[in-house]
Amino acid sequence: MPNESSASQAQTLIPLDYMSSKMRIVSITDETVDTKTFRLEFCDTEQGATFEFHAGQFGLYSVFGAGEATFCIASSPTEKGYIECSVKRTGKVTDELHQRNVGDIIGFRGPYGNWFPIDQMEGKNLLFVAGGIGLAPLNSLIRNCLDWRDRFKDISILYGARSVDDLVYKERLDAWQQMKDVHTVYTVDPGGETPEWKGEVGLAPTVLMSMKPKPENTVVVLCGPPIMIKFVMESLVELGFSRESAYTTLENRMKCGVGKCGRCNVGNLYVCKDGPVFRCSDLRALPKEF
Amino acid sequence: MKSANVDEQVLYQAAAGWLKSAVDILQGAGVEVIAPVETDPGVVELAAVNSSDAVVTDYANVRLPLKQVFFPISEVLLEFDKQPDSDLDVKSEPVASSQEVVVIGARPCDVAALEALDKVFHWDYDDVRYSARRERTTLVTFACTSPDAHCFCTSVGGSPHNTAQSDVLVFLGADGQAQLQVCRDKGTRFIERLGDAVKRAPAGTTLPSPPEVAARFDSEKIKTWLDENFESDFWTDVSLKCLGCGACSFLCPTCHCFDIVDEANWRKGQRRRNWDCCSHPMFTKHASGHNPRPDQASRCRQRVMHKFKYFPERFEQLACVGCGRCTRACCVGQNLVGILTDIEARAKEGNDSDAE
Repeated sequence: MPNESSASQAQTLIPLDYMSSKMRIVSITDETVDTKTFRLEFCDTEQGATFEFHAGQFGLYSVFGAGEATFCIASSPTEKGYIECSVKRTGKVTDELHQRNVGDIIGFRGPYGNWFPIDQMEGKNLLFVAGGIGLAPLNSLIRNCLDWRDRFKDISILYGARSVDDLVYKERLDAWQQMKDVHTVYTVDPGGETPEWKGEVGLAPTVLMSMKPKPENTVVVLCGPPIMIKFVMESLVELGFSRESAYTTLENRMKCGVGKCGRCNVGNLYVCKDGPVFRCSDLRALPKEF
Repeated sequence: MKSANVDEQVLYQAAAGWLKSAVDILQGAGVEVIAPVETDPGVVELAAVNSSDAVVTDYANVRLPLKQVFFPISEVLLEFDKQPDSDLDVKSEPVASSQEVVVIGARPCDVAALEALDKVFHWDYDDVRYSARRERTTLVTFACTSPDAHCFCTSVGGSPHNTAQSDVLVFLGADGQAQLQVCRDKGTRFIERLGDAVKRAPAGTTLPSPPEVAARFDSEKIKTWLDENFESDFWTDVSLKCLGCGACSFLCPTCHCFDIVDEANWRKGQRRRNWDCCSHPMFTKHASGHNPRPDQASRCRQRVMHKFKYFPERFEQLACVGCGRCTRACCVGQNLVGILTDIEARAKEGNDSDAE
């Protein structure tokens, strides 16, 4: 498990009363037709000043009256004073969130879960592969790694979406593309391209094969729809990567976020406590229920 | 938890009328007393009592398990209020008051089940509401005298005289007399409170032998079969008659899954925690529509796996105390012991291991 460094190993119990902190929406970015990114600041400035998290952790965001929902923190731990979350409109809580405006107050509790093993990634080549809204948790890690650029060797990003309209974080994608020390490949599914599209056209596993990344001294971090993870992992194995060198982040329905409510239980693990970050090799030992 | 074990077996004797004295003394001291009362003909529940008159002692077990005292069916976590001309006000619901509570008359299986709940609510994050209720409560358990055909505590490490998590274990005798075995520190305090109503039993006093509860299966063998049979047609067979109503979970003394929901009129409301159940299709359904446990077979499997494989792997004990409520309550006659003995039979045959 990558959570060797996780605070969850601490002996002392953390008191929990399920209280949500109030956060103010300071900006809203429309990413796609159904996905928005919210930048949030703690109403309690002292809490905002001391709040810390790691890339890969998640929180329970709530619209009071509609309920709580789980999303990763999409901004980097190196950016202080605010957090961001990217929300696709799919259900009751996300529908309500999408109707909030700048200045509105929502609830947040967290951070929960383990995180990407960024310490163990130092001195290595990094390959990020994301699909669709799966770029959100990787966005946190990529921004973190780019802020600490000299700690890592080559950094490559493969990002795919169904269509050009489904690409999220477009400004950041452009910024990463401009960077001389980052190798970016963006792709859309066949039929999803526009006449102006200058990136690749094809599914992520195929495009990955043509990128020919080198497995030596490389850590891979994957996030996207389960079907994409499956086939990208197969491509990686074909390219000589081991499943031990690849990490991904899982999502399961959650209510408590702290290993009690039982929803995210898979085998003897809880996605909220033992994850959400897992080594791909460890996932193979789990029952196929995620 | 919260009450250390008492080293040696400490026995007291109580004459007829001790229960009335106990309730009166506790009430006089401002202690809330929870005891078995008949709420409907033939239905006995744990409920707060004002006198010993309503307390019943001749019952097999209470309908809703003891867990409801510590982990209520529904409870408020926080309240929020947004008036048009003021800021959003969010208040955490106060944790249980420090008023002392004594539960008299839970059965040993229900009390032992708290061991499993303690582990869940106390790892890494301490659920403050559960802990506060455990902290303030003394458990005066009635040893089991009338197990029925559905009871199987002895197959899952328990017994009708199990003292696990009890502060005092009471052996009710004829004519209202009783023997009281002190099991934990809180039990000593309870006995001290009773004063003259009880006296130390003479040396050599023996306790009644427990009523027989036949061992029905070997949980180790079941675990071994479960290790190998995540994929098995057996789960489909088991699920065919399951309606997914969740009665088994709601009545289970160790089931602890819950939901968190907001109940509000959009301006003012509460966030509540409610009991939930892994047999329900919505339990694991993602907002996207994807459901990792899409059919009743996978949900029935989860319930058995969680109790007899996953929970033991994680918390080093079974998540079942053999109270038999799931079987008694099932409206289609699903029988957990039947499922487990079938599994054991398959484990013995050893020929249908169709794991990947």
